[in-house]
Amino acid sequence: MIIADLSNRELTRILNGPGLRWGSGPFSIHLKNSIPNFTDYLSLIYGGHPVIEEPWEDIADFHIQLTTNSNYRRFWKPQVFFQLDGVNHLAPFPKDHAPPMFEWGWNFSIAGRANHFLILHNAVIAKGDRAMLLPGIPGSGKSTLCAAMVLRGWRLLSDEFALLHPESGLVFPTARPIALKNQSIEIIREFSKDAILGPDFAKTRKGTVAHMRPPDDSIKNMDQVAKPTWVVSPHYQEGQNQILEQIPKEHAFLLVAANAFNYETLGDAGFKAVARVVKESTIFNFRYSNLEEAVETLEIMTNNDKKGLAP
Amino acid sequence: MAKSKKAGDIFVEVWNKPAIFSTLNIDEQDLFLRIARKAGLLSRFCNILDTAQLSDSLTPKVKNHLQGARVVAQEDARMLRWEVNRIKRAFVGSDLPLILLKGAAYLISDIPMAQGRLVADVDILCKLSDIAQVEELLSNNGWQGVELEPYDQRYYRDWMHEIPPMRHSERLTEVDVHHAILPKTGRLNPDSKLLLQDIVPVKEETNIYTLSPVDMTLHGVVHLFYDSDFDKGLRGLTDMDGLFRHFGKQDEYWQALIPRARQLNLARPLYYALQMGVEIVATPVPKTVQEEIKTHAPIQPIDWLMTILMRRMMIPNHPEEKNFLSWLAWFLLFIRSHWLRMPPGLLFKHLTKKWVRKWRFDVRNRRTV
Repeated sequence: MIIADLSNRELTRILNGPGLRWGSGPFSIHLKNSIPNFTDYLSLIYGGHPVIEEPWEDIADFHIQLTTNSNYRRFWKPQVFFQLDGVNHLAPFPKDHAPPMFEWGWNFSIAGRANHFLILHNAVIAKGDRAMLLPGIPGSGKSTLCAAMVLRGWRLLSDEFALLHPESGLVFPTARPIALKNQSIEIIREFSKDAILGPDFAKTRKGTVAHMRPPDDSIKNMDQVAKPTWVVSPHYQEGQNQILEQIPKEHAFLLVAANAFNYETLGDAGFKAVARVVKESTIFNFRYSNLEEAVETLEIMTNNDKKGLAP
Repeated sequence: MAKSKKAGDIFVEVWNKPAIFSTLNIDEQDLFLRIARKAGLLSRFCNILDTAQLSDSLTPKVKNHLQGARVVAQEDARMLRWEVNRIKRAFVGSDLPLILLKGAAYLISDIPMAQGRLVADVDILCKLSDIAQVEELLSNNGWQGVELEPYDQRYYRDWMHEIPPMRHSERLTEVDVHHAILPKTGRLNPDSKLLLQDIVPVKEETNIYTLSPVDMTLHGVVHLFYDSDFDKGLRGLTDMDGLFRHFGKQDEYWQALIPRARQLNLARPLYYALQMGVEIVATPVPKTVQEEIKTHAPIQPIDWLMTILMRRMMIPNHPEEKNFLSWLAWFLLFIRSHWLRMPPGLLFKHLTKKWVRKWRFDVRNRRTV
């Protein structure tokens, strides 16, 4: 059963009561929620994700609750609180921003807890089992490029985290929604009519945010791990001529390591995992302004690269 | 295990008998792991399972959570060893001994309980008259006093048993420099000279010392039952349990413990620690010691009340449960710890100051949300 199979009423009842469990690649979540408009968001954006039904065979990785004020603030500028295991780790958002609160909170939870992975702050997409990592500081166009590639048939692993398994060197998909910010929202709407976007949330810390539902194929394949094959560091700049240039490996190491949330935490294992990515992938700086051309360029580059393909 | 069993009971049962963890159903395992994580004990539990070779038969997700916890504890230990190494280097050229307290002492002197134990900063002890020199040595080597409001500066300098934390400007790690184990203003004031006379060198190290086994124990006990560390109560109790178990293998330790506690005027908190340890985590305490320490129990009604309050603080609740009685116990113990910390007039001023500040902070925050 997938989340979209549940009627809005059933979903609301479950979220208000025992909580809903669903899978997201290597993670499972157990969510309780009492915010009314959140249910619509969940069935639209997470509709394709598989519900974990009783009896479950393993623990839930994250026990999360979205709650609202119980005091006078119920009536005056109510807020939404994100609780992980009953603790508010984050400052609340206004109540009608439950979806961005949820996404940010879950990201926070993964980044703080999933230390069995080396967690890189990258978007990750794949063709078959060859993965492309897109590191990038906020504003570099990482999410936009990721969304565009996915809308042209690439598999979405994650818009936020490359979950690198230190022993195997493989990256695990979560197939969670892509968070688009500000102008990117309109750009992606125009880029493809297949894009399924949730509502706009204005005036968040990152400006206006909207979430793109992961393609069903990406969700179906979210248990299929992929091998880092390319690292492409995007730099969007208006009016910029397109340049895709390879970076020498010795420079690339810091590019990859500096984007890790827990590089130091993993110590030796973190160093080896980064070294392996750098050694085994081709690494690029990518300056562009036209999204259509950018997608085509990466398409051509990867099609010409036979590395990692079965003979 | 029956469904009706309380979260805290499940936790205590498994903590005391880790082999039954794998026999719990998956929801109970989940609950146990959540409580352990919240109490800061997941990585220690992981280590206990590893040592007893009990981690192989677990589900994939449980293994992942344990691995995540293991990695974090390893980082803490790595950080702590490096920080001790750096402080030791800063001390080179001076004739000061480097005396480690608490977590750093447990780890560097290889007490088994330190395996998988989480740590935040390094605590060291020196003579009151050496404070200025220690501060200077640390300042010359990259540490800086954390910037504080004048009130907080005064709080530390005039009333506390430590100076404001020194933070390293690059690594952002903190050193707490103590000159005593309880505040200057406190009801009890164990003489630091006695502690300093008995320090013991750490094996295979030069110029690194810890308190003697009994003093190390009493320091932990004081923190847990006389200071305000009781909100990490369960963790503190397992620390004490670890010390009792490790040092308790020697008979001399048990013979020295109570006399030393009397000498330092710390027999009452030791009574609480032994009582709670035996009750909650089955600390193996010789019968004679259990009998003898009872002479230091408070009068019956206080003893009874304290037992109830401390039990509430130590035995964990369900992670999502908001328990009024637990909050009340916390509140009463908080008041008690402050009562013991400073005389009533000063206490009143201090709490008023803190509450006004908290209220102002809340109001400021609300405006921006």
